[in-house]
Amino acid sequence: MNGPLIVQSDKTLLLEVDHEQADDCRRAIAPFAELERAPEHIHTYRVTPLGLWNARAAGHDAEQVVDALVQYSRYPVPHALLVDIAETMDRYGRLTLSKHPAHGLVLTTTDRPVLEEVLKSKRVAPLVGARIDPDTVAVHPSERGQIKQTLLKLGWPAEDLAGYVDGEAHPIDLREDGWKLRPYQKQAVENFWHGGSGVVVLPCGAGKTLVGAGSMAQAKSTTLILVTNTVSARQWKHELVKRTSLTEDEIGEYSGTKKEIRPVTIATYQVLTTRRKGVYPHLELFDSRDWGLIVYDEVHLLPAPVFKFTADLQARRRLGLTATLVREDGRESDVFSLIGPKRFDAPWKEIEAQGYIAPADCVEVRVNLTDAERLAYATAETEEKYRFCATTATKRKVTEAIVRRFAGQQILVIGQYIDQLDELGEHLNAPVIKGETSNAQREKLFDAFREGEINVLVVSKVANFSIDLPEATVAVQVSGTFGSRQEEAQRLGRVLRPKADGHQAHFYSVVARDTIDQDFAAHRQRFLAEQGYAYRIMDADELLAGEA
Amino acid sequence: MSGDEKAAAAPRSLAEALRQRDDASLAALLRARPDLITPVPTDLTQLATRAGTRASVVRALERLDRFALQTAEALAVAGDPASYGELLGLMAGDDGDPEVAAALPRALGALRERALVWGADDRLRLVRTARELLAPSPQHPSPTGLGPTVQEATAGMSPGRIQEIVAAVGLPSTHDSVSAVASLTALFTDRERMSALLADVPAGSLEVLDRLVWGPPYGQVTADPAPRLRLLLDRGLLLPTAPGTVVLPREVALHLRAGRAHRAPEPVPPAVTASATHTARVVDATAAGQAYTALATVEELLKDWDEGGPNVLRAGGLSVRDLKRTAVALDVPEPVAAFWVELAYAAGLLASDGEVDERYAATPAYDEWLELPPADRWARLAQAWLTATRTPGVVGDRDAKDRTLSALGPGLDRSAAPEVRHRVLALLAALPEGAAPDAESVLARLRWERPLRGPQRTGDHDLRTRLARWTLSEAELLGVTGRGALSAHGRALLGAGASAGASAAGPAAPGTGAGTDAGAASGADAGRPGPDGLTAPGPGDKLPVHKHHPHPPHPPTAEPLHDPAPVPAPPPPTAPPHDPTPAPAPLSPAEQATATAAAARLLAPLLPEPLDHVLLQADLTAVAPGPLRRPLADMLGVLANVESKGGATVYRFTPASVRRALDAGRSAADLHAFLTEHSRTPVPQPLAYLIDDVARKHGHLRVGAASAYVRCDDDALLNEILADKRSAGLGLRRLAPTVLAAQADPGTLLEGLRAMGYAPAAESAAGDVVIARADSHRTPPRTAPEPVPDGPPAPDTPLLSAAIRAIRAGDLAATAPRRPAAADPAADGEPPRTSAAETLATVQAAVLTGETLWIGYVNADGAASQRVIAPIRVEGGFVTAYDHTADEVRTYPLHRITGVAELAEEAAADPS
Repeated sequence: MNGPLIVQSDKTLLLEVDHEQADDCRRAIAPFAELERAPEHIHTYRVTPLGLWNARAAGHDAEQVVDALVQYSRYPVPHALLVDIAETMDRYGRLTLSKHPAHGLVLTTTDRPVLEEVLKSKRVAPLVGARIDPDTVAVHPSERGQIKQTLLKLGWPAEDLAGYVDGEAHPIDLREDGWKLRPYQKQAVENFWHGGSGVVVLPCGAGKTLVGAGSMAQAKSTTLILVTNTVSARQWKHELVKRTSLTEDEIGEYSGTKKEIRPVTIATYQVLTTRRKGVYPHLELFDSRDWGLIVYDEVHLLPAPVFKFTADLQARRRLGLTATLVREDGRESDVFSLIGPKRFDAPWKEIEAQGYIAPADCVEVRVNLTDAERLAYATAETEEKYRFCATTATKRKVTEAIVRRFAGQQILVIGQYIDQLDELGEHLNAPVIKGETSNAQREKLFDAFREGEINVLVVSKVANFSIDLPEATVAVQVSGTFGSRQEEAQRLGRVLRPKADGHQAHFYSVVARDTIDQDFAAHRQRFLAEQGYAYRIMDADELLAGEA
Repeated sequence: MSGDEKAAAAPRSLAEALRQRDDASLAALLRARPDLITPVPTDLTQLATRAGTRASVVRALERLDRFALQTAEALAVAGDPASYGELLGLMAGDDGDPEVAAALPRALGALRERALVWGADDRLRLVRTARELLAPSPQHPSPTGLGPTVQEATAGMSPGRIQEIVAAVGLPSTHDSVSAVASLTALFTDRERMSALLADVPAGSLEVLDRLVWGPPYGQVTADPAPRLRLLLDRGLLLPTAPGTVVLPREVALHLRAGRAHRAPEPVPPAVTASATHTARVVDATAAGQAYTALATVEELLKDWDEGGPNVLRAGGLSVRDLKRTAVALDVPEPVAAFWVELAYAAGLLASDGEVDERYAATPAYDEWLELPPADRWARLAQAWLTATRTPGVVGDRDAKDRTLSALGPGLDRSAAPEVRHRVLALLAALPEGAAPDAESVLARLRWERPLRGPQRTGDHDLRTRLARWTLSEAELLGVTGRGALSAHGRALLGAGASAGASAAGPAAPGTGAGTDAGAASGADAGRPGPDGLTAPGPGDKLPVHKHHPHPPHPPTAEPLHDPAPVPAPPPPTAPPHDPTPAPAPLSPAEQATATAAAARLLAPLLPEPLDHVLLQADLTAVAPGPLRRPLADMLGVLANVESKGGATVYRFTPASVRRALDAGRSAADLHAFLTEHSRTPVPQPLAYLIDDVARKHGHLRVGAASAYVRCDDDALLNEILADKRSAGLGLRRLAPTVLAAQADPGTLLEGLRAMGYAPAAESAAGDVVIARADSHRTPPRTAPEPVPDGPPAPDTPLLSAAIRAIRAGDLAATAPRRPAAADPAADGEPPRTSAAETLATVQAAVLTGETLWIGYVNADGAASQRVIAPIRVEGGFVTAYDHTADEVRTYPLHRITGVAELAEEAAADPS
């Protein structure tokens, strides 16, 4: 017994990466275990009921799972755990959702007591219609998502065999002239298409848009794409025009300013969740065409109301795209149950090893508050404390030093507080992009940055997502949205797009020592640290001295 | 032996039968029924008497296996005495049943050995008490489902009626009832004549008999039975027992059953079947892994309780909340937590500390235990588990007084537990290596070995079944079994003989079970044919206790079958010792210790070797890819928090955990050195930084206790004070150039400094100089004492007027002249009494006329009073009235008014 895998009693699996069987083992456990952490030596996977059920849905059975664990485990696997896995997997498929020729959507069971049990639940009662026979009950077609979610919570996941509507056909092809889908992108598209609906997790800069485009080319039907903001919408449009057979006229933008509905329509979450007099006027967008595919960009940001709409869209194929499926509100499982299970997940370091994202050097620079600042910090109101330490004047000096060090490279300075950014912009003599900057102005500045006309750009959190800045090689983060892990990852993502000359990217996080800034920073870095990005810690004095 | 000489004299009583038994056979009896020798009987007569007492017989019957019990039940419905042939007929039926025939001598032998049956094979007698217990009666239906005999059923019947029946079945009439009943019985027991008789009975009537044949034998009839019933009653095939009730006589039922007393005799114990088979290697490894987890869990439990465990409840035991908390800490369900707690307790590793505020804590034995090698530590737990009578499974149940049983509390002892545990493990040992048993088949086997008497309870709720279930799950937790199958070290726990004897016979070997198998003293004897040619394969599940009894095998009872000569009926002199099933500890302590040590030796190489290194990662975690050496584990446990447990341990470093290590007296340099030494990989920079960062701040602020201080701007003066010998008693220490801290309280310090010739001033908390005053001692706020006056205080005017009004009103009530018309028999001053209707009428009239009334009234406390009222209205059972006595408007419930009388006009017109 000397396998690479250690099975823990809390159902986590520890995989020793340097072991010779590590790759085989990874392949064997990937169908049912979620990769939770991937630091340098030992990767942590977690076996969850959801993961086991997804494995069942993908055609794996309990025996395979048990075999994989027993085969690769270094120590004997506790019997109770194996029994538990078998029992959990056995719960899947007792209930099935299917299309009945006469009654429409029905829930059938192979195990009558289970059906009785779930029908007794108060939460299921409003979702189902008449009892057709002892083993079958009608389900309101509009509640397909809701009932799946509810059954999942009750621990009796339903196998959904009701299929998908094809939607209105529309020819879409990838135009692979001079470029090709990367192997992992192809794999992601295949996995998604095979599974029907689901989420694809790829690191920032690894080309999620192309996975979307590839899926559209598979679907060849009208597509609704939901994105976070207008700039992102334009970039999607730009990319689709460039990479697919779609023309500009076939792609509509549905945002605050334009309301176009075309065979491929890109809408922002914001416009969908706009509420007037208690109703969501733009919801009808979902019904305005017979969409064959719905793409959710940055699915980890999916706003709560969209969850509800999505529940009603279970008959359509859904693709979720994200780099960081961590939500500080803990609703990851809702994403899985409504959009679909995770269909593809690539560890960041793996993609980096393949050369598709740039290697990054992550540095946490610790600055000391001056004595006066420390006193002021100590007396600050609790809610003001973070702002106070995050915007300390010393950070400005450090930022300037970093910018000077990398003079000539494309540098992004990212922060949370506008006055801090304005001040930095002034000192660095760089333009500032913030909420009030108009879209036209933003695009002009981005273009200039892209062209190398500007080297340094100071941005607020408006630039957190989906802005394509190909040549940014250095990012300096001076403050953030408290302890948001996904924000940190997204910001690192700004510099991960592969560089033309293959050189390293730099990510600096400037943190005030001995303050809650440091605590938040530790929390923010957790996701990346778990993805194997080891932060180096530097003293500001060291950095400033190195410069002098 | 003496049996030959006495052979001719058949014993006439149990005492005589016992007297004919030799020492070995008596020893077997006493081993099987140890209650007979406490106290030691003076002679065999007394022994026989005691063996016939109800309590002892019940105890003996409860320890029979199902077939022996069925045999006893059959004897109870047979004649007294019965021959072996009669018994065999009852057990095997007219058609015979080879399995039953093979097993019966053994079962009978067991009954004889236990002195439940005595007499030669032609005169088998069940001891009377057993017969009373097992024979059918209307109150206690027999499991055989048979009713009373014809003789018993006709006991109260008129001779005329009996003669009618005799005539109806075509027998000649006799001159008395006794002979009539005898001839009727003879008819019913004669298969051929009986068949002929039944041939004439129409199908409808036979159907009635069919319904009663397997019991219960009683049926209800109306006063005027249907013809098909009438016919049966006429022929005595049904006999009336009480008005409206009929019974199927035993003889008739036996005829219909083809002679069988039991519908389904169970001569062969149900086999324990395997549900899955794993390789021995997997089983042993899994069990060893679990054994290691068991050790870790017990250590973790006691570590958790290290700094003061939970309080002991006043009634003893652990509170439900503490058990819950422990379960959460161990990350196991509560029943499992209860198991670990009880196990540690049974192994003597934890106990109550006996202090005033009683708490649970580890014992000194725990520290010794910790020093043992892992395999020995496990052996200690396993031995404690095997022999413990405390059963954690019942925690949470309620006792007879409806109190919840708590872990570590009283009332958890179940004396059957060690025996059941041993038995279950022995059954597992009988399976081939690596086979996991089907739990239900184990339970069925146990139920066969120890059936419940009386109405068959098939549920899971009897104690032995529950104990067996717990044994199976606990054995897995403890690593005695792995993947459900008994491991090699688990097998060794049963003692040296167990594995050899067990595996020889296999799981399905027939036998009468551990309780009765006498033939096979060890696996080797099992297949040997007995003298009567009866092949008696030994049961596969024998208890290993036999191995030290090197008696030659000898089937106990078989001879008479073939040799009807007056061979002494009791078991032959060399009868092998019978297995003392009721013995609580199947192995003697010394044997158990040897077996446990053997198990530990087997287990030791399977346990994972502790590691001396961990893997450190940049996300501030450390992974120990296996169990760690204790010092390393202890240190890491302080330096980092455990995030996940199992085969490996995942630790997470946090500022708090690093601070904990620093608080424990480590320096940052120690920690760096420790991590470098034990890490296979370079120490990640963030971790080094974390330690330095925490260390930098650690101890920056210092906290200590001082009672007073001395403050002075002049350093020199403080130097002088410190240097002064007289200041030694004040406990002064210099905290800063201008501050001294003192252990003495401010008063003493002031005195001391004054004595040294200084003139210190006291300082208040705010730093002001306190001006000393002569007496500044104050009590807390106090109220002045209340004066105790001689009499009541002088009344003031309002009080006086109120008092007078009240007095007057009362006076008015008492003295007002009544109207003569009012029927008021009461004397003056007595409250009036009127009927309810009269009261209502009077009051209603008073409302109309505005008159004032005199009423008797009982208040809510039951005190009677008289009042003068002027009713205003009457509604809903209440009178609202102006009360002259109280001088206000009040409401009275009508039902509380005892009586009413009108007042004379002049009195009413003149209220005070």
